[in-house]
Amino acid sequence: MKIPILNPQALLQSRRRFLASILGAAAAGAIPRWARALPQSPYPFEEVLATTSGITWKHVAGKSAEKYLPETTGAGCAFLDYDNDGWMDLYLVNSGACDFFTPTPPLRNALYHNNRDGTFTDVTEKAGVGAGGFGQGVAVGDYNGDCFPDLYVTQYGKSILYRNNGDGTFTDVTGKAGVAAPGWASSAVWFDYDNDGRLDLFVCRFVDFDKAKSKDCHAGEDAKRGYCIPHLYRPMASWLFHNNGDGTFTDVSKSSGIGNYLGKAWGVVATDINNDGRMDLFVANDTVANFLFANRGNGRFEEIGTQAGVAYSAEGRPRSGMGLDSADVNQDGWMDLFVANIDHEMYSLYQNNHDETFDDQALATGIGAATRLMSGWGLKFFDYDNDGNLDLLLANGNPDDLIEELSHHQVGYREPLLLFHNSGKAWTNVSAQSGPIFSKPFSARGLAIGDFNNDGAVDVLISVNDDTPFFLRNNIGAQNHWLGITLVGKKANPDAIGARVTYQAGDLKRSRMKVGGGSYLSYHDPRIVLGIGKRPKLDWLEVKWPQPSGRVERFTDLPVDRYITIVEGQGKWK
Amino acid sequence: MQKFPQFLFPFIALSTALSGQAAKAPTTDPATAAPKTIELAETGHCAEALPALSGITRKQADKDLKRRAGLDGVRCAMGLGRFDDALEFLRTLNREFPTDPDVLYLSIHTFSDLATRASEELARSAPSSYQARELNAEAYESQGKWDQAGQEYQKALAKNPDAPGLHFRIGRLLLSKPNPPADVVEQARKEFQAELKIDPNNAGAEYVLGELARQDQNWDQAVEHFSRASKLDPAFGDAFLGLGEALISSRKFPEAIPPLQTAVKLEPANPGAHYNLATAYSRSGRKTEADKEFAIHRQMTQKEPAQTPAQQENPPANPN
Repeated sequence: MKIPILNPQALLQSRRRFLASILGAAAAGAIPRWARALPQSPYPFEEVLATTSGITWKHVAGKSAEKYLPETTGAGCAFLDYDNDGWMDLYLVNSGACDFFTPTPPLRNALYHNNRDGTFTDVTEKAGVGAGGFGQGVAVGDYNGDCFPDLYVTQYGKSILYRNNGDGTFTDVTGKAGVAAPGWASSAVWFDYDNDGRLDLFVCRFVDFDKAKSKDCHAGEDAKRGYCIPHLYRPMASWLFHNNGDGTFTDVSKSSGIGNYLGKAWGVVATDINNDGRMDLFVANDTVANFLFANRGNGRFEEIGTQAGVAYSAEGRPRSGMGLDSADVNQDGWMDLFVANIDHEMYSLYQNNHDETFDDQALATGIGAATRLMSGWGLKFFDYDNDGNLDLLLANGNPDDLIEELSHHQVGYREPLLLFHNSGKAWTNVSAQSGPIFSKPFSARGLAIGDFNNDGAVDVLISVNDDTPFFLRNNIGAQNHWLGITLVGKKANPDAIGARVTYQAGDLKRSRMKVGGGSYLSYHDPRIVLGIGKRPKLDWLEVKWPQPSGRVERFTDLPVDRYITIVEGQGKWK
Repeated sequence: MQKFPQFLFPFIALSTALSGQAAKAPTTDPATAAPKTIELAETGHCAEALPALSGITRKQADKDLKRRAGLDGVRCAMGLGRFDDALEFLRTLNREFPTDPDVLYLSIHTFSDLATRASEELARSAPSSYQARELNAEAYESQGKWDQAGQEYQKALAKNPDAPGLHFRIGRLLLSKPNPPADVVEQARKEFQAELKIDPNNAGAEYVLGELARQDQNWDQAVEHFSRASKLDPAFGDAFLGLGEALISSRKFPEAIPPLQTAVKLEPANPGAHYNLATAYSRSGRKTEADKEFAIHRQMTQKEPAQTPAQQENPPANPN
């Protein structure tokens, strides 16, 4: 027997490190009572195959021997109703030509029209939204108030603004609008930061990167070439563009204060963390502190992430923030935050303390243990079973294709989706009970929610790095009652970003804010679906429109199990 | 059993081969004595050279000769089995040349060799003792052979149920194993509690119980365990940090400040200590002190790369 040389110091020095390994130990748990009561078939979620949907488009990462970092980070996806026919269409982002990649034949993004029968038709060419650069993400918003959603496509290189012409076609207006945001753009969000009733644009910028600056990284015992860890690259400031209302934008990054902060931004959500009626920004940064830009009015933002407790881990370490979201998950009237990180960092659920500080509840909710070895990208709070409580769906996958060798298979390169059910009192990981799709591993990146078949059960679109995207059809949401609403701002911004909807159905009272963005590189169905469980009707619904309106409108005699539209100031729904 | 690292002592074989030959005694001329003694040692005549090497190492003014004599002294003494002499040479070398790579390298291998010899002796003289079992268990543990390590610890415990440290190690082993059973935390907790019955002064066991309570969100229990750990070992920076973190988590911000101040004093290079102290100040309304600590933390984290997989820019030079 070989007796190794003992090293008592080494035994002692990792007291903390070895404790970190136990966090996942208690992850295995019993199946909750509500989940046992679910019908065995169909499962809550079911994969819709390309052969059924007609979505044959595929993401091509452009993977090379040189391992250029953008290859592993894309791409995003979106639900949008580009032709205003009341049915959600899809937009999918692809890689493309850039200084380190010349695809043959050329690659393009895809716009799929919803045929209203569960199938989709590729209308990219007619619509003129193929892009062609090295795409990353997409943000959808009606920036010009013509009631047709416009597209902002982020790219490595320079981004594109496609104005919706209202006739099924789009026009590239990037140059006139002045929103090219050169560099490596990732997620973007439309929101009205100065409450002038027009949608402004925030664009996340990742690191200072181009082919010449790409670093040569190697890992493992045999020093294989791999994707570099982002801390090797210089951080950059993100962009904020003010909408001038005439089709042009002004770069206010510096004057707003946002340009003073160098980060490595992947995800952004516009939310109101302090209920002051001004939309704030939570930005997930990779390997550096996250940002929480508190909107102080007069066009100025204050970065308060560290003081707020959302910049670092509890141990004070910067993590690899990627996807994120915001919602009032505990229904105390204050917006909470969520951010997904890389393996061994856990994801964070930040509960709002009502004083611009947050406490991480990841461990208390079990989300920490379940995500300890995961790497999270797209994610969204939504009420998938329409019981009135916001649940959480996460798309995962490690960015490093050597990770299984490096971590001795403890961490996977492809990882399964995660679904957490919120009972209103506790979170339960229900992934294993939610369908066979939850046991399949993916290199998932983008995640968008949307009801593609208008049954009130919110479905999910997942984009996969270097593979075909897929749908999750929601089979459970329609088993409860619901009301779907489209909000149209008039004095407030057209998409009603920042609106708060409160509703009561019997003993159930709930409140939702319409946030801007969330997830990773992706955008969502703009409609809000309000679940009421088995209760037969909604008693009332109140909309507090965002500033500069601030109007509060209350509605009764509401239908259920259908979609309605509420236009600001009309005092009625249709 | 591992052989002695012979590559360290290439001249020992030569010494053995030459043992029947007459060797010249070291010269007494001070100008030439030191080089000749060193030459003698380096040609394998350790027994003759060793007494003079000791003098050269202690008294020689020429730093290079002093260093060479010390290095040769260690090698010769180890080869001759004169371990006390070897340690004396090493002490002198480490005092005089504390950062010399040759000195550090030789120190590592000498201590390693001594540890190997001691373990061999333990295996020869008391193979069934609980100490031998414990050593075997530690060996398995360091090789990642968790089950064998656990069996050896249990055998050690059977030999001496009251031996201090065994329950602590078993508890730690349980928590370190990959793919543990669902009740592993409870099993480990029982081991640490058993350790404290045998050795109530084990600060490490109190600390781990504090961490387990913290992960269960049982803040009161976490505070109790961390407090006891920090009292048992007033130099245990992590215990003070754990106490501060638990107090912050239970929203007792002013109470968290003193232990975190101690943690910062004990571990000034630990960014987590500064971050938590800053948080405690900030949430106690002590903005100026908070800003100062946040600034220190920010500086430290900007220097320190994030905790990410072992991947480096550019590979190390190929040794071949």
